[in-house]
Amino acid sequence: MIDEQLALWRAYDWQLVRGAALQPVMQMALDEALLDAVAAGHRPPTLRIWEWAASAVVIGRFQSLRNEVDPDGAQRYGIHVVRRITGGGAMFIEPGNTITYSLYAPASLVAGMSMVQSYAFCERWVLEALASLGVEAWHQPINDITSAAGKIGGAAQIRRSGALLHHVTMAYDIDSARMMEVLRIGREKLSDKGIASAARRVDPLRRQTGLPREAIIERMIETFRSRHGLADSPLTAEEQSAAERLAETKFATEEWIRTVP
Amino acid sequence: MHGEYKVPGGKLIVVDLDIVDGSMQRVTLSGDFFLEPVEALDWMAAAIEGLPVTTPAETIAERVRTAAAAAELLGITPEGVAEAVRRATQGDVP
Repeated sequence: MIDEQLALWRAYDWQLVRGAALQPVMQMALDEALLDAVAAGHRPPTLRIWEWAASAVVIGRFQSLRNEVDPDGAQRYGIHVVRRITGGGAMFIEPGNTITYSLYAPASLVAGMSMVQSYAFCERWVLEALASLGVEAWHQPINDITSAAGKIGGAAQIRRSGALLHHVTMAYDIDSARMMEVLRIGREKLSDKGIASAARRVDPLRRQTGLPREAIIERMIETFRSRHGLADSPLTAEEQSAAERLAETKFATEEWIRTVP
Repeated sequence: MHGEYKVPGGKLIVVDLDIVDGSMQRVTLSGDFFLEPVEALDWMAAAIEGLPVTTPAETIAERVRTAAAAAELLGITPEGVAEAVRRATQGDVP
């Protein structure tokens, strides 16, 4: 990365939030609560590493619930269905199979960048961490992290009230058969990919690195810390209660989950 | 009725609507695209609501473009929306 871009990151006092495993609906709520906290200037820019307490399908803000999720499949395996505040596609999450993180920052971090440029910019440090583990990965527009062997993950962003949320889910491992029982992936979506199987498009990090999930996360944190600086910063009681409130009044409601039926 | 169109190099656009007395009603748009602000989803659907089912694709695209003029669209285009509408109204489900 060129020095000028490193300087952009270094202008902020980055904090790390890494707490207990949370239920999917709390993950959605905490993303919004921390974005609001950074927007209001109550919290410095923050990297949050997620731990999932349950399996989930997370659909994008503009996706139709019935088009994306097979309700019988989700119920069969006790999979939570939640909707996030960012656009993009549905993700199938199993706690040990997924590496998820969020960046919350002032929008000034990506000032003057197009949306696609800003995805690439926010992913540089992760690509460097993966490269240090022997995985040559790159940003593939619009919002994918991919490698020669297959797709690794996807990102989504939202800019609101002068703040940016950039969150990413990467596949550490994948149960493709179960994913296909839970997600509806239509043929039209795959029409310009030239590949018949959606599952085959993903090549997870476990296969690519042979490392435990935790080791990959540790390397990501080390890489971020050495490039951009990073201080530990637990959630405040206010942030925790704001997230609980949002979970109850918004993210757990049928109105939100079915906002695009 | 239901139509889907994958924008080449972009995202999936899904249109659901009913045809009532020759006009498009209860139009909803969905997909894995990105939009800011989020209200632009409703602006675009409203631009199609009530149009005759015979409305040319160019007209639909132009109305969607105007409705979303203040929004930032990523992975979704007015022409793509018009194509998804065309597929929905012609029962051209992939």
